Amino acid sequence: MTKMLSKKFPKPSTKCRFFASYMAKIPQAPPDRILGLVNQFMNDPNPSKVDLTVGVYRDNAGNVPTFKSVQNAQHLLHTVPSLRKDLSYLPIIGHPNYRNKVLNFLFHDGCPEIGPEIIYQDRVSFVQTLSGTGALSVTARFLSNFISDSIIIPQLSWANHANVFKNNGFRNISYYPYYSNEKIVLKDWLNHLINIQKTDREVTSNSKPSCILLHACCHNPTGLDPTKEQWDQILDTIYDLNLIPIIDMAYQGLESGDVLKDSYLLRKVLNKKRYKNWKNGIYLCQSFAKNMGLYGERVGSLSIILPETNSGNKSTSIRENIDSQLKQIIRSMYSSPPGYGARIVSLILSDKDLKDQWFLDVKEMVDRLNDVRYKLSQKLNWNSIIDLNQQHGMFYFTNLSPIQVERLKNQFAIYLTTDGRLSLSGINDLNVDYICNSILNVL
Amino acid sequence: MSDSLFEKFEALPPDALFAIKARCDADARPQKVDLGIGAYRDNNGKPWVLPSVKMSELQYSQDPSHNHEYQPIAGNAVLGEDAAKILLGVDLYEKDKTVSTQTLSGTGALHVAAQLIYKGDPTREVYLSNPTWANHRNIFESSHLQLKTYPYWKEDTKTLDIDGWLKTIEAAKKGSVFVLHACAHNPTGMDPTPEEWEQVLDAMAKYHHIALFDSAYQGFASGDLDRDAKAIRLGHAKLSKQSPIIICQSFSKNLGLYGERIGCLHIVNPTSASKANIISQLSTLTRSEYSNPPAYGADIASRILSQHELRDQWYIDMKTMSSRIYKMRVELRNHLVALKTPGNWDHIEKQCGMFSFTGLTPEMVERLETKHAVYMAKNGRASVAGLNTSNVEYVAKSIDEVVHFFSS
Ligand SMILES: Cc1ncc(COP(=O)(O)O)c(C=O)c1O
Ligand SMILES: Cc1ncc(COP(=O)(O)O)c(C=O)c1O
Repeated sequence: MTKMLSKKFPKPSTKCRFFASYMAKIPQAPPDRILGLVNQFMNDPNPSKVDLTVGVYRDNAGNVPTFKSVQNAQHLLHTVPSLRKDLSYLPIIGHPNYRNKVLNFLFHDGCPEIGPEIIYQDRVSFVQTLSGTGALSVTARFLSNFISDSIIIPQLSWANHANVFKNNGFRNISYYPYYSNEKIVLKDWLNHLINIQKTDREVTSNSKPSCILLHACCHNPTGLDPTKEQWDQILDTIYDLNLIPIIDMAYQGLESGDVLKDSYLLRKVLNKKRYKNWKNGIYLCQSFAKNMGLYGERVGSLSIILPETNSGNKSTSIRENIDSQLKQIIRSMYSSPPGYGARIVSLILSDKDLKDQWFLDVKEMVDRLNDVRYKLSQKLNWNSIIDLNQQHGMFYFTNLSPIQVERLKNQFAIYLTTDGRLSLSGINDLNVDYICNSILNVL
Repeated sequence: MSDSLFEKFEALPPDALFAIKARCDADARPQKVDLGIGAYRDNNGKPWVLPSVKMSELQYSQDPSHNHEYQPIAGNAVLGEDAAKILLGVDLYEKDKTVSTQTLSGTGALHVAAQLIYKGDPTREVYLSNPTWANHRNIFESSHLQLKTYPYWKEDTKTLDIDGWLKTIEAAKKGSVFVLHACAHNPTGMDPTPEEWEQVLDAMAKYHHIALFDSAYQGFASGDLDRDAKAIRLGHAKLSKQSPIIICQSFSKNLGLYGERIGCLHIVNPTSASKANIISQLSTLTRSEYSNPPAYGADIASRILSQHELRDQWYIDMKTMSSRIYKMRVELRNHLVALKTPGNWDHIEKQCGMFSFTGLTPEMVERLETKHAVYMAKNGRASVAGLNTSNVEYVAKSIDEVVHFFSS
């Protein structure tokens, strides 16, 4: 009987098996930590509400400004006809002028001592990417195809890091201690690396090298970076352990207000006197989202810096092979990158006035963030927030407990992420007193 | 050990179409003609920014409200909805039964669809037309899916292999995914007739297969955006009651936004239970690859799709492009007939979309490039949009020369 029935009326579930069966197995992914708060914030009727969650710069009027340099470049794009007559596909590896100018910016301007030699030796495989995230995902796909599928990331890190590596071919994701009680836990960090390398070697004699993710500056979420001396120790250990450095440079310029100064981690890694050769390459994932305010335009880059050949000859043929692998990865993901943001960046980097204006724009942004830091330190008696030796960027880790964060939200409509991370750029002259008084109230 | 790691890499063959473009760009011969990559050119051989796009860009540049903030993970919501209506028509579109997400154009939509299928069922077989766009294989293979092909084209008669196609549908494992070119098949330029679409889609319904429509040329087959969506709408009528329909939509060609990478993935009629899950899976995928899609092109496209005046202009632009291409088909064929080039060239006129599958052999194509500086894909696919009144005769004569060269 049932058999007959089901023959006549096949169950809809079997018809939709494709989506139904796996959907039954896979639970709904947890909602994005920040976006959930954004929604709550939007629906909050309290007129004094303040959003201190997201990592987007706001000016003193609470607006997301378009940088002057970007406005000027856009004006050129929109008014000089020769700049806008062509919306054709860009090459798979990106806008040619963008490639040139960004390489130059990163390696000539940013690393004047060693960069020109590296470029001369043709040791950088470089692609325009979908901002910092896209650089990380292409890196993950490339590495997991050929070199390594293990990565160690800071215990506290950008929420998306693990997701990026997990969904792009990495099998082993583990965490190194980074922060505790307002301090970088350097000893634990280094010991952890040494120990896991030891166990790896003991368990599998021929294990592949692991990668390590480093925040180039303005660590997200803690805002706390190692000192320059600590970086030397860290890199020494990483180098000795043959770990592969992946440098996530999403906030270049937001530490000191000077974009060139802030690529110090890259300069340190490339210091040939200290580190003769990174055998498996260095992976630099760079973003213009924050330091040019081009968030939504998705513009950034991946540089794979190849080891020097024994003879010191040019590495052109190896570099070309790697380029060809990156092209294949990109072609299957999205064919070629979007043009608009790349055009803005290349205009800015090509013109001295625009570039100078950009440097000023970054400085202005960081000056304001530091001003906010200063005000908070005064009103709240928070000293560590103005320790500019190590406290950098858009974020400050308040160490407020989840309960205190909850009370700030419910009682005062002030929104922080649950981990107590506070986005400084949401604070301005109009709301700073309200915010400080509210914090004092929940403390 | 690891020094050699880097030296171990083999160079992959360069992507054929992008490589043709690079060779052509580097060619110093003034008479060169690029019939490689599928990008529209005007009668001066220049890239053409659509008047509707210019209007939209002007609006954007004068709109003080725009900034460069991150878009939501699913991109521009206005775009997603209006884009689905362009495909399905306002009558068929049901908001609560459609998941739309902005993607990095058609490629990005296909890539996300492939990942989603793999997550759903890694053993699911995916059928591509033979022949098809070169990148289809790369996209689905890199998502680890098992690929098969269905016959599409009969070389000897230069016609559709409908019988072979239907047989494959019948023999395929129940629930297989068929990638269907919604219109203007790439590379053959040969679409099924309405009756043939009926047959194909009926058979797919009978064997419970899943349709994945790749819509990269809507408007180029007939000049009419609605008419070019017929196959999708018919597919909706026949299949949507039993399975979700996947549509990968590109605005590269029909809005001429190639380099801004604007498109959408739509999943129509997921079961209501699975809709939220699909959305959450899409978010996770997007987050892990690029966080959120690019804003500028989406803004430009959504203005055109959502404002009457701009949309009307777009419909006119579409006619401008498709009718110029059609004129070039006729002229090329007429020149070849007048030159008495051996063979039958009627198919050039009969095929639709941007391409003509000329039937030239790889050797002929190579000689066209080396001797005449005429560039096209090795399989004999020519982008007709690269022809114009100043070069069509030259191209015809070049084809005439190589055909004679190899038939003597
Ligand atoms: C540490 C870190 N890395 C990378 C990114 C990536 O940003 P985007 O993809 O917008 O460049 C972010 C953004 O918030 C970040 O905080
Ligand atoms: C059949 C087909 N599908 C999809 C695409 C995707 O192109 P895009 O990623 O530019 O939208 C193309 C482009 O050539 C194509 O020919």
